[in-house]
Amino acid sequence: FLSRGVEFLSPFLPSKGTKRWQRLQIRPLLFFLSQKGLCFGGAAASMAEDLVLDTAIRDWVLVPLSVVMVLIGVLRYFVSKLMRSHQAPDLKVVKEGQVILRARNLRAASGFIPAKSFRSRKTYFTNEENGLLHVPKGQSQNAQAQMFSDPNLAMDMMKKNLSMIIPQTLTFAWVNFFFSGFVAAKIPFPLTQRFRGMLQNGIDLSTVDVSYVSSRSWYFLNLFGLRGLFSLILGEENAMDDTQRMMQMSGFGFDPSRVIA
Amino acid sequence: MVGASEAARMERLESQVENGGGGAWEYLCLVRKLKARRSNKVLKHGLSILNDHRARSKLGAEEWTLYEQVAFAAMDCQQHDVAKDCIAVLSKQFPGSIRIGRVEGMLLESKGAWAEAEKVYARLLDDSPLDQIIHKRKVAMAKAQGDLSAAVKFLNKYLEIFMADHDAWRELAEIYVSLQMYKQAAFCYEELILSQPTVPPYHLAYAEVLYTIGGLENLQTAKKYYASTVALTGGKNTRALYGVCSCSVAIRQLTKGRNKEEKEMSDLQTLAAEALQRDYKQRAPNKLPLLMSMLKNMKLNS
Repeated sequence: FLSRGVEFLSPFLPSKGTKRWQRLQIRPLLFFLSQKGLCFGGAAASMAEDLVLDTAIRDWVLVPLSVVMVLIGVLRYFVSKLMRSHQAPDLKVVKEGQVILRARNLRAASGFIPAKSFRSRKTYFTNEENGLLHVPKGQSQNAQAQMFSDPNLAMDMMKKNLSMIIPQTLTFAWVNFFFSGFVAAKIPFPLTQRFRGMLQNGIDLSTVDVSYVSSRSWYFLNLFGLRGLFSLILGEENAMDDTQRMMQMSGFGFDPSRVIA
Repeated sequence: MVGASEAARMERLESQVENGGGGAWEYLCLVRKLKARRSNKVLKHGLSILNDHRARSKLGAEEWTLYEQVAFAAMDCQQHDVAKDCIAVLSKQFPGSIRIGRVEGMLLESKGAWAEAEKVYARLLDDSPLDQIIHKRKVAMAKAQGDLSAAVKFLNKYLEIFMADHDAWRELAEIYVSLQMYKQAAFCYEELILSQPTVPPYHLAYAEVLYTIGGLENLQTAKKYYASTVALTGGKNTRALYGVCSCSVAIRQLTKGRNKEEKEMSDLQTLAAEALQRDYKQRAPNKLPLLMSMLKNMKLNS
């Protein structure tokens, strides 16, 4: 993995530090191997030796990756603002929202009004013929089906999804292509072996401590963590980062008619 | 939520600005946020900011909000030409905007040209049928013309769509009370209590309406609501205490023959009477004899 990483990074590295960097990578590797040789018998203890990572990694991997992700987020925000179609509020939707608010108030504060008025309001909402909240069996449409049948909503959703998926995919591919095959950072707390497959993706050495992660994990860290930064730059409500959108996407089974029940 | 601290701050700023100190812009922002109606002051200070070139350019995008605020204040003070100037500037900047159209409609209203204002509002409603403020302007117009039944009709239609708007319910309740349609007013107050159960004025108003309608059941319910007002205000509401006493008297008059509930009623009444006496002794001791004679009459009339 060393040669591949060096190959890709050498155009970026300052010429002075190249050999030193190579040497730094190789030395701990030999050290580890010698350790393994010495530890005959019992299970290998956790390698508490510290790898010294070149500052060039910080300059040319970590910082550019973060900067690029911030810029892509800002770009996405502006693009979404441009593409947002103004949806005129529908009378029926507004009315339904208000009815629900009123019914909720009725349920919450029912102890404060006389019993007779509570009953009359209850029948107003739920009686069989023209109750506002009464939904005859079999007629209630699944919210999801409704969402798809309304073309405007479907287009909006598609646009939102696209604006999220495409930059993510592109950035991920870019990271994998350029920044794989070497140790990028060390996580300050110890981790179990289970995370090895996730975090050490390009590193093909199985003895390296799991705290040493590849740049892919740095990408994921940024992905989930830049929300605070976006809320500072773009103002409070635009700080939606991808986790929220992913949760929104997966929350499709949300059925509003069952909210009140 | 509007806090008492903000109201106090506004008062302080008002006195400060009146006496020549700075802070006019902050004062105007607070007035706008708290929706206080200080039109002559807003007009004076707003105009001083707008006419000063440097101060106006310092405002940036907020300049247009200030124009709108000054236009409203000018209309309130019946200075139509000032309002017209402001509207002209605004419509040059935002041609065809619904918000500006609303201000124009209000100018026609303040001049008394009801029919034209009506036409303007109808046109705006065609464009955006869900604009709450235009609906409310129509109601206000009907009320200003003295046509309360039309106001009631408009308000009912508005509430069919926006039934969670508690300000509208409150307005409707007050109109019903002035029209003496007490049953409908009681319904509106019930809506208000449902949406905001911890606000004492609604309990008090509901109790008063019930007391006015009369009838044994309503009087008993009214007494309960007077009592809940007393509970919500920590015993400080004198009117509610009086209400408890009068309800007890009225109930006792209606149930002259039956003895069973008298004991529990007189407990509440004696407590209320004591609270009233304490209150008067503290705050208006020279009116205490009036209170004492009234209480004596109430006890004697049972």
